[in-house]
Amino acid sequence: MELRLSDLKNGEKGVVLSIGGIQDRGDTRRKGRGWKFRKRLEDMGLTPGTEVTVVKSAPFNGPLEVCVRGFRLAIGRGMAERIFVEAKR
Amino acid sequence: MTKNRFTIALAGNANVGKSVIFNQLTGLHQHIGNWPGKTVEKAEGTLCFRDYMIDIVDLPGIYSLSTFSLEELISREYITVEKPDLVINILDASLLERNMFFTLQLLELETPMIIALNQLDIVKKKGIKIDYERLEKLLGIPVIPTVAISGKGMFELIEKAIELKEKKVKIEPLKAKYVKELEERIEKILVLLEKIQFRHPARWTSIKLLEGDKEVKKEVAKVSPEIVSMTEEFAKEIEEIFKHPCSTVITSERYEVISKIVREVREITPPAKPSMAERIHTLTTHRIYGYLIMAGLVFSIFYLIFTVGGYASSLLGDSLFGLKPIFESTFGTGIVGELLWGGIMEGFIGGVIVALPYILPFYFILYFLEDSGYLSRIAFLMDKFMHKIGLHGKAFIPIMLGFGCNVPGCLGCRIMETTRERLLTAFVVTLVPCAATTVIILGLVGAFVGIQWALLLYIFNLLIIIFLGRLAFKALPGEPTALIMEMSDFRVPHMKTVLKQTWFRLLEFVKIAFPLIIVGSLVIKIIEILNLLEPIANILSPLTVFWLGLPAITGIALVFGVLRKELTLIMLAALFGTTNFASVMSPIQMVVFTLVAMFYIPCIATIAALAKEFGWKKTSIITVFEILLALLLGGIAFRMLSI
Repeated sequence: MELRLSDLKNGEKGVVLSIGGIQDRGDTRRKGRGWKFRKRLEDMGLTPGTEVTVVKSAPFNGPLEVCVRGFRLAIGRGMAERIFVEAKR
Repeated sequence: MTKNRFTIALAGNANVGKSVIFNQLTGLHQHIGNWPGKTVEKAEGTLCFRDYMIDIVDLPGIYSLSTFSLEELISREYITVEKPDLVINILDASLLERNMFFTLQLLELETPMIIALNQLDIVKKKGIKIDYERLEKLLGIPVIPTVAISGKGMFELIEKAIELKEKKVKIEPLKAKYVKELEERIEKILVLLEKIQFRHPARWTSIKLLEGDKEVKKEVAKVSPEIVSMTEEFAKEIEEIFKHPCSTVITSERYEVISKIVREVREITPPAKPSMAERIHTLTTHRIYGYLIMAGLVFSIFYLIFTVGGYASSLLGDSLFGLKPIFESTFGTGIVGELLWGGIMEGFIGGVIVALPYILPFYFILYFLEDSGYLSRIAFLMDKFMHKIGLHGKAFIPIMLGFGCNVPGCLGCRIMETTRERLLTAFVVTLVPCAATTVIILGLVGAFVGIQWALLLYIFNLLIIIFLGRLAFKALPGEPTALIMEMSDFRVPHMKTVLKQTWFRLLEFVKIAFPLIIVGSLVIKIIEILNLLEPIANILSPLTVFWLGLPAITGIALVFGVLRKELTLIMLAALFGTTNFASVMSPIQMVVFTLVAMFYIPCIATIAALAKEFGWKKTSIITVFEILLALLLGGIAFRMLSI
């Protein structure tokens, strides 16, 4: 099931499908917007096929704490909404 | 003395113990400054070892060699253009995968390098075993196991570096191969690049072109636009085949290569119960306890610094001002003596009584917390709130510093990734009421109008910050900000590194702030000697008297406040000849005066810091804006309160 990373509950795992969403791809108007951040996330190991665990999220819809490739990463809510994952339940 | 001199660059991710290794290698022979024209810290040092003089450059901690942040760009420029003789890539052995992503890119740059496999002590605790000899074979470059905090492996590291420099060891760095479709295309670009003799390694350039790297594209386009358009074609083809953007495919491939290596060299047997560091992490990021701990910590730090620092400051001030008679007996009380004491010395003392009792402990605590890993937890907890002013969690740290003193706040904006975020954060920092502003708020309004009014002014200030922060965020073009931050394991801070950082930061503060403070106080002294204070107050009177409804004399106090804001209060007392302000000013006047003093200008030291970080143009805009803002708010407040 394709979900956003921000939809996962604490402790749930998912496999990264894409960042920015499949529907965005090829749409040149959106090109550049947030590109740097996508690259940054991928550079930090969130490539398609990687398993991510949501450890917890900060209160008031704050950032998510995720575990990826053995390290702890804080991802802002807005960014997490743009990471698409296949939930592993 | 003819010594062999060469340069080593230290490169690696953030939080891998890089600065500790740098300190271990260079001791006190170091210099911390900025990269030319950039707001990124540059640490250099020298090491004398046998017959060698080794210059060591500590590159910023980064995760990749793309161009996400200034730090990445600078590191890349340094390695490709300045070409150090050798790069030591420091890896956190407990996080091999992510660390080696960077290693792989360094290898593609074809620079001679050694790997320092650091934090082996922590690795053991985590139940991880690494076969570093095997790693050495797979990567084809020397791998030295190190424990930076105890200095283990430092000797071997330098020995190996010299061996490599003297070409006593042969290395055959790994040439990572990617998926077939990608390799075919890299191969084709590579051939063309070799023909035009591009200045960077051909394979690296080809990959960067395929990734769509703007800087590399620009450079190649200057020589051969055909190559660029060809790679754009290729990138599209790759996207068609893999159904992902080409840069994503390349990143995935890199991680694929790394995963294979890591599987061969690493064994993990996770410990049964969570470690101490793990438990502290859970507690400090807890939705309730996390905030309680943060609030408690921040308040006690400020309380401690303000009470102890305040005491130390007045003690220090008294003893320094006690030098006056000695000074006067040497230089006399004539014009020269007056200028030397009242201008230069008082300016100097004014700087000292801020720098030593306040800034020094502030920096120490800051670097202590940073090294322990706690600051990233604060950023995590505060992210949501910072988004309200268009920034992200990390911005809370410079803003928090700003409440103590705006200068470290402005310098602390370096932790933000992009220039835009830095400028936005610095702008917000200059609006934050610093310790000196707090003195005015409490000493004038708090003491003579009522504490609830003082509180109201504080709240009003925060509202202005939120409003203007949002406005500036909307007005400044650029990408939206988002928090992407590693939260490394908690650890015991390495005291030597913390102390050194504190020391060098303090020096930086002195260098930035002191010249302007001294020049400023000299200028004001000259004005005073020439009896120009009164005329200035008269010139300002349309603003102060008519627009703000204040006594004309306050104009002089405000001029002095540019040096240090608390001087406005001190001057006010001196000019009125009383500290009972209620007898000379009405409550409305006190509120309006304080309001103006809060915003009217960043003090001269803050202006200096801003100019250093962002240049004079942006600094002038911010300064002029804040003067106008203060006048506007003050005028409105005067009229509204008078109704």
